[in-house]
Amino acid sequence: VALSKVFGSLRKELHDTLSTCKVLVVGAGGIGCELLKNLVLTGFKNIEVIDLDTIDVSNLNRQFLFQKKHVGKSKAQVAKESVLQFCPTVNITAYHDSIMNPDYNVEFFRNFMLVMNALDNRAARNHVNRMCLAADIPLIESGTAGYLGQVTVIKKGLTECYECQPKPTQKTFPGCTIRNTPSEPIHCIVWAKYLFNQLFGEEDADQEVSPDTADPEAAWNPEDTAARATASENDGDIKRVSTKDWARSTGYDAVKLFHKLFKDDIMYLLTMDKLWKTRKAPTPLVWQQLEDSASPQELSAGSGLKDQQVLGVWGLCQLFQHSVETLRSQLQEMGEGAELVWDKDDPPAMDFVTAAANLRMHIFSMNTKSRFDVKSMAGNIIPAIATTNAVIAGLIVLEGLKILSGELESCRTIFLNKCPNLRKKLLVPCILDPPIANCYVCASKPEVMVKLNVHKTTVLSLQDRILKERFGMVAPDVQIEDGKGTILISSEEGETETNNSKFLADFGIRNGSRLQVDDFLQDYTLLVNVLHTEELERDVEFEVVGEAPDKAPSPQTTPEEVNSVTNGNKDSAQPSTSSKAEDDDIMIVDSEEENEGASSSTAAATSGTKRKHSDAETGETSTKRPRTDQSSAAAAPTDDDDDDDIITLD
Amino acid sequence: MAATKASKEQKYDRQLRLWGDHGQESLESAHVCLINATATGTEILKNLVLPGIGAFTIVDGHTVSGEDVGNNFFLSNNSIGKNRAQAATELLQELNSDVSGNFVEESPNKLLDNNPEFFNRFTIVIGVQLPESTCLRLDSVLWSASVPFLVCKSYGLIGYMRLVVQEHSVIESHPDNALEDLRLNQPFAELKNHIQSYDLDSMDKKDHSHTPWIIIVAKHLERWLSEHNLQPPKNYKEKEAFRQFIREGIRKKENGVPEDEENFEEAIKNVNTALNPTKIPSTVEDLFNSEECNDVTSQTPSFWVMLRAVKEFALNEGNGSLPVRGTIPDMIADSQKFINLQNVYREKAMQDAAAVSKHVECLLQSIGKVGYSTYIANRRCRCLGKNSSFLRVVRCRSLAEEYSVDTVNKDEITSSMDNPDSEMVFYLMLRSVDRFYQQHSRYPGVYNYQVEDDISKLKLCVNSLLQEYSLNVNIKDDYIHEFCRYGAAEPHTVAAFLGGSAAQEAIKIISHQFVPFNNTFIYNAMSQTSATLQL
Repeated sequence: VALSKVFGSLRKELHDTLSTCKVLVVGAGGIGCELLKNLVLTGFKNIEVIDLDTIDVSNLNRQFLFQKKHVGKSKAQVAKESVLQFCPTVNITAYHDSIMNPDYNVEFFRNFMLVMNALDNRAARNHVNRMCLAADIPLIESGTAGYLGQVTVIKKGLTECYECQPKPTQKTFPGCTIRNTPSEPIHCIVWAKYLFNQLFGEEDADQEVSPDTADPEAAWNPEDTAARATASENDGDIKRVSTKDWARSTGYDAVKLFHKLFKDDIMYLLTMDKLWKTRKAPTPLVWQQLEDSASPQELSAGSGLKDQQVLGVWGLCQLFQHSVETLRSQLQEMGEGAELVWDKDDPPAMDFVTAAANLRMHIFSMNTKSRFDVKSMAGNIIPAIATTNAVIAGLIVLEGLKILSGELESCRTIFLNKCPNLRKKLLVPCILDPPIANCYVCASKPEVMVKLNVHKTTVLSLQDRILKERFGMVAPDVQIEDGKGTILISSEEGETETNNSKFLADFGIRNGSRLQVDDFLQDYTLLVNVLHTEELERDVEFEVVGEAPDKAPSPQTTPEEVNSVTNGNKDSAQPSTSSKAEDDDIMIVDSEEENEGASSSTAAATSGTKRKHSDAETGETSTKRPRTDQSSAAAAPTDDDDDDDIITLD
Repeated sequence: MAATKASKEQKYDRQLRLWGDHGQESLESAHVCLINATATGTEILKNLVLPGIGAFTIVDGHTVSGEDVGNNFFLSNNSIGKNRAQAATELLQELNSDVSGNFVEESPNKLLDNNPEFFNRFTIVIGVQLPESTCLRLDSVLWSASVPFLVCKSYGLIGYMRLVVQEHSVIESHPDNALEDLRLNQPFAELKNHIQSYDLDSMDKKDHSHTPWIIIVAKHLERWLSEHNLQPPKNYKEKEAFRQFIREGIRKKENGVPEDEENFEEAIKNVNTALNPTKIPSTVEDLFNSEECNDVTSQTPSFWVMLRAVKEFALNEGNGSLPVRGTIPDMIADSQKFINLQNVYREKAMQDAAAVSKHVECLLQSIGKVGYSTYIANRRCRCLGKNSSFLRVVRCRSLAEEYSVDTVNKDEITSSMDNPDSEMVFYLMLRSVDRFYQQHSRYPGVYNYQVEDDISKLKLCVNSLLQEYSLNVNIKDDYIHEFCRYGAAEPHTVAAFLGGSAAQEAIKIISHQFVPFNNTFIYNAMSQTSATLQL
């Protein structure tokens, strides 16, 4: 009731605070647009907004500050202009930039009384979390996915930080699964996206698509693996020319490409016979045979809903041919040295991935998928609508008002359900949890233990895979605690690059070594304890001790669940608030649980203990998250305890 | 035309993934009426214009004031002095060129006086910040015209929604944990034949490990039944035994160690799903038994005609079961085997839908309706067949029923008020404030100097309300003070919240997908809590 006094008519003190304080909105997408409007109409006068992204057609169904004529322009800039049109008296500063840019340092964050995230990727969320901890500024974190959403408040020392609860690491797929032994559609889709980059885009050594001759599973013994690996490196004949150069030399002849990818490479894979002892062997495809045996139906390409249709093999061949030709001419028009960037909303790029992925699925005896479904998985698309964003942005501002009136203790984490749960609640507010004592981000002396093989881990992969990707740093400096203070990695350009290709053991790092890692921008120091091991699984580079290893994605992946099994594109530590291939307004706060909640009882069990919902106002107590709540209840009528789609809770 | 379609597909991509093309089609043919373009009103409409409803009409007799501009994004300083319906239409229209915007510069009361049929043309009418008397008049007109009516109000830190719809059918309710419809306990002839075509023992190793789990369970179930007096595994113990029985079917290597057959593991995991008996859910059974389903006349809405056809199907061709859904989950199998199996279910589903469609035709003929588009009928029957276990009908009470002393839902009110801080208290306060308005033609606390006076006046209203309905509940003075302090303010952030939730309900009603709430929703922005009440 005390609060209502403050809010009810927005008493003068709060009103004054609003008109003088400066706030930062990170992201001008689905939630960001709503949030800017709400802030302005609630009386906030000084707002800064940052977003790296430009406006796309698929934003227009909800990002109401943008119109068709704005497509391609800066989101932050257009959002600012649209708001000013309606409310000319407020001060809005717009940055078309990445929040991870070093210009936005701790000093910058200290300018604000409140920071509100309206982000779509975990890397940026982690980063803003650290910046707000370093600057000791309260942060409101939020996210939506379809009909679901949530809002939470983060304040140094008082609440959990964004990284207190370990989020399952993004599923990245082992190289040999992608290149040699795909067993799920997502493997083929990832392969097809790699292929797009190899052929038309920026080549990346981590995105090889040809058979991996060094697959440890294929070889008889370790020596043999090594021998094969060397052989393939020295192999001048087969594919030492880059895929792109080769494709260019054929003039991007679709049939020639087809035969290399779907016949020759597959035949080569078949020679690695050890792989097919237990697996169903792939079947190479021959263009002419497919054309000859195509059914008349298939020849007259189907009408109707192209997007939802599952094409036959010959239909896929035609789609492949057609999209290769379109992409080739796009590339030609752009001139020498041009590269295409894969974008799920670019029709020929999407057609290409649909065709290539499906042909590979067919070869590996998987059920093919419609373009609509492939798009969901390839683009990590999370459905997004205006209504959910409106609700969430409304909740954010109310939490913000509580913070600004010094009522932090009445702030809540709020979950928005798809429909009222069994207790008839659409919203489930939960009391904020205190920080986790040994959080590797917000603890007073953060420390982690990492299992790796010091003879096989290079300095570069320590930097890129472990420190940047896994621990979310932007520019780490690493010093070995060896009594000499050896600098292993320096964030200054040109100082330690020569170390990159060397192994950790080369620097005397062994079991029990300690590394002091600093990120100057984030004002963050982490002590890494190295545990040397020779026993990591195939293609696993390292393991963080005390965390469940990555779980393989469930085979029945529905579009809704896809974002938990992305191929590192969404949540990789790329320094951007959102890159072209990403979608906006994605819920990352606990989203993995959200997504796995329906199919994985372990996820439900951990989340069950995680949240203490004790809602004083309604006298409600519950230790379950709202979503799992529903599923467990709905599952109750069935009699058993161990079925796959049933969750047992508490 | 094709280009428009493609560009729409792109623009609406993220929402098509929630309600599909047909949901989008319903949306695009909807005409929504908004009464009162206040902040809450325009926020709701914004969230309907963006996803692309066909048309909207704003009814509003007010002139835009400075206060309106202060909390409403779709009114600007230049609109002051203009009619509010017109000003808001202009700005909302800009959000989406595919939507046609209209406005009527009149108060709803005036329209009700002169042309009450005016409202009958709409897919849904959304009334915002309306006084009680107008709500009740609209309630009566729209109830008899069977037009859904959504009442919304932002009052200080409280949000209120009330759905009034006589009957709302939901074909696609999108349940969260739908059980599969596999019919393994009573396989249809085509499925039986298909199962027969497999011989697990004579297969080579690769085929064996790439046989869909549905076939594996079916095969083992056949043998189990013959060994157990035709009784399927029922309790936990028997199911465990059945799982073990399947496990024994896994091929062994020469050294006796079982092969790694993931499809068998999948079969074992899915035993529960597979043994789930085929039966008509009780919600659907209830619908079958209802009067509307059994007395089909020329006045019967098409949903009930189709439902009756499904019932006829169940009684005849279906042998007591609903049409086959026709979808199977993804599973480990090679493409050919999976597709073949999928086709068995899919073709059966098509057959069943065709049979339902025949029943529809017969029924229509019997009630003398001809010329009904068979194309639409076929398409709808397929959708109905797929969703027949999830059919839902929502029936709300009218506002008249809720407000009448004879039919008020006293139980719901008093039992909720066992907790004096339950969201119900806000409902009672809103009713009291309405009463205040009726008596004083203004809301309490709108003028600062009157707040103290108004507190005692509002208290009188609270007491008279409780007395009139003989409600033996206690409302804390704090709430009365609070509601006076609100001064009928409509804070933007509460309006934004309600704008999102009300638009979501409207989309459910328009698309006949997902189940709308029944019938009252209260949001408390202070504690960020909400509740649905049945009043």
